[in-house]
Amino acid sequence: MKSLYLSAAVLALAAGAAAAQDLKFAPGEDARFNWASYEALKSMDLKGQKLTVLGPWLSADKDLVESVIAYFEAATGVEVDYAGSDSFEQQIVIDAEAGSPPDVAVFPQPGLAADLAKKGHLKPLADGTEQWIKDNYAAGDSWAAYGNYTGPDGQAHQYAFPYKADVKSLVWYVPENFEDAGYEVPTSMEDLKALTEQIVADGGTPWCIGLGSGGATGWPATDWVEDMMLRLNTPEDYDAWVKNDLAFDDPKVVAAIDEFGWFARNDAFVAGGAGAVASTDFRDSPKGLFASPPQCYMHRQASFIPSFFPEGTVIGQDADFFYFPAYAGKDLGQPVLGAGTMFAKLTENPAADAFITFLESPIAHEIWMAQTGFVTPYKAVNSEVYGDETLKKMGAILLNATTFRFDGSDLMPGAIGAGAFWTGIVDYAGGKPADDVAKSIQATWDTLK
Amino acid sequence: MEQLLFAGGTIVAGVFGCVAWFWGSNWVLDGLYPPRGVDAGRNILRANMIRPWLFIGPAVLFLSLYLVYPVVNSAWRSLLDADSRAFVGLDNYRWLMGDVKFRESIFNNMLWLLVVPAASTFFGLLAAQVTDRIRWGNAAKSFIFMPMAISFVGAGVIWKFIYDYRAEGQEQIGLLNAIWTSLGHPPETWLTLPFWNNFFLMAVLIWIQTGFAMVILSAALRGIPEETIEAAILDGANPWQLFFKIKVPQIWGTIAVVWTTITIVVLKVFDIVFVMTNGQWGTQVLANLMYDWMFRGAPDYGRGSAIAIVIMALVTPIMIWNIRNARREML
Amino acid sequence: MSAIAGTKARLVWVVNLAALALVLLWTIPTFGLLVSSFRDRDQIANSGWWRASMSSEATSFVRAGTAADQAQEGELWVTAGNVLTEGQNLSAWGTNSRDPAAYAPGDVAELKDGQALSVAEDGTYRLTSPTEFTDQRGMRIFLTTTAPPKFTTGNYARVIGAEGLGQAFINTFTVTIPATIIPILIAAFAAYALAWMEFPGRALLIAGVVGLLVVPLQLALIPLLKFHNEIGLGKGYMGIWLAHTGFGLPLAIYLLRNYMVGLPREIIESARVDGATEFQIFRRIILPLSFPALASFAIFQFLWVWNDLLVATVFLGNRKEQLVMTGVLRELLGSRGGDWEILAASAFISIAVPLIVFFAMQKYLVRGLLAGSVKGG
Repeated sequence: MKSLYLSAAVLALAAGAAAAQDLKFAPGEDARFNWASYEALKSMDLKGQKLTVLGPWLSADKDLVESVIAYFEAATGVEVDYAGSDSFEQQIVIDAEAGSPPDVAVFPQPGLAADLAKKGHLKPLADGTEQWIKDNYAAGDSWAAYGNYTGPDGQAHQYAFPYKADVKSLVWYVPENFEDAGYEVPTSMEDLKALTEQIVADGGTPWCIGLGSGGATGWPATDWVEDMMLRLNTPEDYDAWVKNDLAFDDPKVVAAIDEFGWFARNDAFVAGGAGAVASTDFRDSPKGLFASPPQCYMHRQASFIPSFFPEGTVIGQDADFFYFPAYAGKDLGQPVLGAGTMFAKLTENPAADAFITFLESPIAHEIWMAQTGFVTPYKAVNSEVYGDETLKKMGAILLNATTFRFDGSDLMPGAIGAGAFWTGIVDYAGGKPADDVAKSIQATWDTLK
Repeated sequence: MEQLLFAGGTIVAGVFGCVAWFWGSNWVLDGLYPPRGVDAGRNILRANMIRPWLFIGPAVLFLSLYLVYPVVNSAWRSLLDADSRAFVGLDNYRWLMGDVKFRESIFNNMLWLLVVPAASTFFGLLAAQVTDRIRWGNAAKSFIFMPMAISFVGAGVIWKFIYDYRAEGQEQIGLLNAIWTSLGHPPETWLTLPFWNNFFLMAVLIWIQTGFAMVILSAALRGIPEETIEAAILDGANPWQLFFKIKVPQIWGTIAVVWTTITIVVLKVFDIVFVMTNGQWGTQVLANLMYDWMFRGAPDYGRGSAIAIVIMALVTPIMIWNIRNARREML
Repeated sequence: MSAIAGTKARLVWVVNLAALALVLLWTIPTFGLLVSSFRDRDQIANSGWWRASMSSEATSFVRAGTAADQAQEGELWVTAGNVLTEGQNLSAWGTNSRDPAAYAPGDVAELKDGQALSVAEDGTYRLTSPTEFTDQRGMRIFLTTTAPPKFTTGNYARVIGAEGLGQAFINTFTVTIPATIIPILIAAFAAYALAWMEFPGRALLIAGVVGLLVVPLQLALIPLLKFHNEIGLGKGYMGIWLAHTGFGLPLAIYLLRNYMVGLPREIIESARVDGATEFQIFRRIILPLSFPALASFAIFQFLWVWNDLLVATVFLGNRKEQLVMTGVLRELLGSRGGDWEILAASAFISIAVPLIVFFAMQKYLVRGLLAGSVKGG
């Protein structure tokens, strides 16, 4: 009897190996992974079904997401067709409006997903998904809320599942440059400002800031403002601001904008001078860290930015990050700004439900964790799997945040968060007073009501 | 490979289909109303009533489906709300009138309208005049005409190498800043300079359209009767007088046609702004604004459609004038 | 007499110079792209393309050997090696990022803990220490080097292979050819009817066609894709061919009609008198005579479809293997915004075909254009 089981297991393994030949990590081999959760997925037999996924990830990121999807395909037999688009926001609108939506879409911005949900283009996720997120994600209530939208029926449903997080409150630097100049990593906003001034006094330039991003120019500055909001005001104020219960031209918001201006509108503080901020491409911007002599010492940007570092840069050695610190003088804890991509169903394809179930399994997270550019708030994953120390450190920031807030511009209505806020902040970087900018953004928001 | 075969098959099928339709329907018509026999006269008359529609039918079908229907559809949707559900009357238009970005776009479009057709026609005329008088004129014409063949996305990359900005003290790799700094000025971020950045975008369209103007105007210039010019020379006209007093008035009609044609291009200008600044830093134009409202962020099809209707309303008078002009030219 | 000859000669000079200036102004942007696409990636980012033929100076750093590379020489622990790659000349070096050009070749730098570093002009360096090295990661040696101009076709090889431009090239052809030929056929018949057949409503139709020239394409995208989805066409080549046909027709009909209406009336009248059917007249007389206009529109439509981005992204879909060249280029602009060599090479590939077509066929393009606007309708 025993031998029969054994041979069955060998057979299963062999079959698994055959199906798994293009799987990045052979199932069952590396004990750090939660292979049990992979095996559990095999109970969903959807052989021959097709699933289309549209997302914003291209080139290297696309390879990564496909390496994860491969496990879903191997386990369930579904054929997944992932398409990436750099104009995802427009593409999904056109496809949904015209009646040829993908089965699953990956929204980088909850605001856009909420719009589509309201128009009836999204399908509610299975019952219990909301509770699952609340129970299993760190800061689960916040995460669940980001995927919870009002449908065409006026009722709130869980429409989107958050998978893959980005930590935004990070400052990147080159440790050896800090060493050469004798600088210490600051642990409070006061220290950071003092360091900024110190660098200038030593004849250097402290910051590289670039807002350029083609059609999305301005978004890096919205992250700055959001981080400042969380460091000057309470999380409740932040939530109210995002919903416009706190007006955009409220003095609290204007103060946050000006706090960003303290860094970005000072010619001595930014590489190329304040005039270069708006037009420097955000992808080119971090390169100043690596110039000799350095064009700047610090760069505040989300966890994805190492993809744009010079080839061969070893994260953790050639470049590293520290937490964008909070004011020691204010009792607001250690707030973390983040973002995440939201998976939503646009059709009632059973394979789409199975895909969301797949995303709830630890293995779906661990496969990407073990590679690069992925952090997750999922508590059940094994953080030993993280591909490098840096990711692990970021994952820890995410799991230990006293306050975690989602990127505000992603939560605002598209016309604000992907429109007026971007252009307004670009105007601000160009010299327009914060008050005027805030007023004009609020005016646009008023027309949406 | 398979897809090339598919494309080849489509071409053959398409061509065959078209020919079959035109030939077949004519054959059927001739069979129904044979131009012979007792009723020959009446039959020819009847057939001639129907035949034009056979020729023109497919085109009308395509035009109504692919252009007229969307226009009517948009006109209707411009009266509906963001989700095209509720009727809101002229609310979208009223909103447009008060919108800052819309006003900025109208202002910029006017600026484009003033500058681009004038500059393109001027450079086109200049190029036509000089290239017609030199031995390597045809080669010169080709080079000036060439930008027409380049996509707007390609042009965006090309001009990136002109307008690029590097901080002061670094070596400039954008041509404009290299020249500018060598004259002792600090480098500029050209595409974000308020107001002037519009002109840097226009330069790209002028670069593209001048060749078109040149070709047409060159032909018109050569069409001026020799006698007129000779008479003027005999009267002692110098080259400048000859050009401005004799030649330009003669081709005034053609200049107008070129001018208006470029004007229409300008009113629909989208790609250059979309690729290079996406309407930021005060460079928004109508077509890009429409695109923003239709497809970006929270799409509002009502507002987007309203802007589309405004664009068409602005282009139409120019178009009518253009056609009238072209007709007078012919007579 | 000689005075007049003198002004004339001077005028010839002025005209030639003016033409030269115009040609230079109009070609320099494209030329810059062409030059850039052959340059080495570091050099593109460090010096303007107009200095491509000069050697360029760059500051960079390399790492000295680690503890594993050291050898003991008497009292001293020594790490040695060479910091230069082929073709580079060293003009200065340093050990601190704040002053990367502190030393001249051959100098000896005194470092902390009695360590010393020297870098010779040929790039060999020698790092000595009285105690054993323990670094897992070599110290940075900053170099100011000049390198001779470097040209390469590597950018093209990389773009065509890795960035999927090869597939996009085929896709673009698949889209372009039928989308050029089908509208010509349909437009030619319509243009003939509008030019030479008498029927009620003709003037109205002509005005309508011209009026449709002004429709901004963007507004047609969603209604048409919706329509394609409803009749089951969905996204694909068939859809994009039809869409381009629809969008190209107004200009096609307008150009062709203007040309055909200018054909000599006598030929057509006499053919009619001889009993030729309209179809025969069209095929035997109009089509051959209209060749310049047909060719001209074909070139126009070819360029327009080839260069189009908007229609392709909507009607063809965005999967990597469906992208057309402009789509790939736009994606590269997004994901490789900083990699100028990739941008330059792919931009040049995408404009190469239109340029070839353009230079080969511009004679016809001009003739057809003239028919459209000079002779008038």
